[in-house]
Amino acid sequence: MRAVLVGLGAVGARAARQLLASPQVDHLAVLARKPVRSRGRSRELSGSFEVAELSPATLPAALRGASVTVLAAPGSQWVAQLSIDAGVPVVSASDRPDEVRALVAMDRQAQGRGLAVVAGAAMAPGLSCLLAAWASSRLDQLSELHIATLGTGGPQCAKRRHASLREPVEEWRDGRWARKAPGSGRELVWFPGQVGGADCYRLNRPDTFLLVRAFPGTSCVTTRAAASRRDRLTSWLPMLRPPHPEGTVGALRVEARGYRRGAAQSVVLGAAGRPALLAGTVAATAALRAATGQLRPGAGGLASLVPDPAAVLAELHDRGVQLSAFEGAPVNPAW
Amino acid sequence: MTSPNRGRGWPAKFKPLSRAMLAVALAGLAALVVRLRGSGGTPPHQGGWRELAASELAPPAKP
Repeated sequence: MRAVLVGLGAVGARAARQLLASPQVDHLAVLARKPVRSRGRSRELSGSFEVAELSPATLPAALRGASVTVLAAPGSQWVAQLSIDAGVPVVSASDRPDEVRALVAMDRQAQGRGLAVVAGAAMAPGLSCLLAAWASSRLDQLSELHIATLGTGGPQCAKRRHASLREPVEEWRDGRWARKAPGSGRELVWFPGQVGGADCYRLNRPDTFLLVRAFPGTSCVTTRAAASRRDRLTSWLPMLRPPHPEGTVGALRVEARGYRRGAAQSVVLGAAGRPALLAGTVAATAALRAATGQLRPGAGGLASLVPDPAAVLAELHDRGVQLSAFEGAPVNPAW
Repeated sequence: MTSPNRGRGWPAKFKPLSRAMLAVALAGLAALVVRLRGSGGTPPHQGGWRELAASELAPPAKP
């Protein structure tokens, strides 16, 4: 198959590596706004690929005969629209709420053409949606979902997190949307791996929107991210120093609360690793499944479009993603 | 007896000291509010994270 990748940043490069390593992909067309910079980064790739400039003139030629389009650069909704028009499934790794909502708004078009348009195929949203879907399958009735993350991928992800700490947060509370102050709701979260505990705060991310859409019966869905006091204090300022090329430490924690066999239970799952690596792996895995028709037609998050989250998580596990479960016990069993 | 300073407020040489003390007190109050605000959480006392094996990633049989 032929695949089209837009953007060769930290996440795009990881996705490209995964796609080129797959025996299913014969050729990868990489489109970038700054192809000179991307050509430098593409030296680390091996396989059949080409790098070209992203423009309305070059995109139709790249989409001809393509099986999937992967979006790993911000502001690529027009690429998604052209891909749908060309009958090519779309997988977006964006974590921007406005872009995710714009992609989900293409649901009717995607269903009409029988295509999958995946919004948010990264670490969070993305892996968070898959873990939430799998955790919900362990319960008879799902009532709450709580997502917490630590770390950022590339510079765009770091800038997005900085901005999201000052934006109002839409949270799903008691079955309806509630507006919360950014950076509020401090909660000590214990992550898997070597990360340990970190204070997490509310921030504006599209996980909540995608999960409420996938699980409309839940009463509460929240999203938090680890942040320091300096992060919160300086969130209204421009970033004081340039973001790092790629974050090295990252973790994700997903808690699903509900009932199983009549008793209240919570399932806590997590993952640890470089955020860009996790995001790129999820995006590539989702792209291969979208290209081979293994996702439901329509536009939405992975929790909505993946019919069997366990199989996708098993594939991610095979690709090196470390998944963990928290096995806790109450301090006093009589409680 | 009447104090010699009565009605005159702080002597001029103590003014910087009183301002410094006020600033320290306000900074301490602000730090206290920042530290105490929020509900925090209780660290887990038992259990822990366990890496999942591929064989565990199968949907359970529901009753």
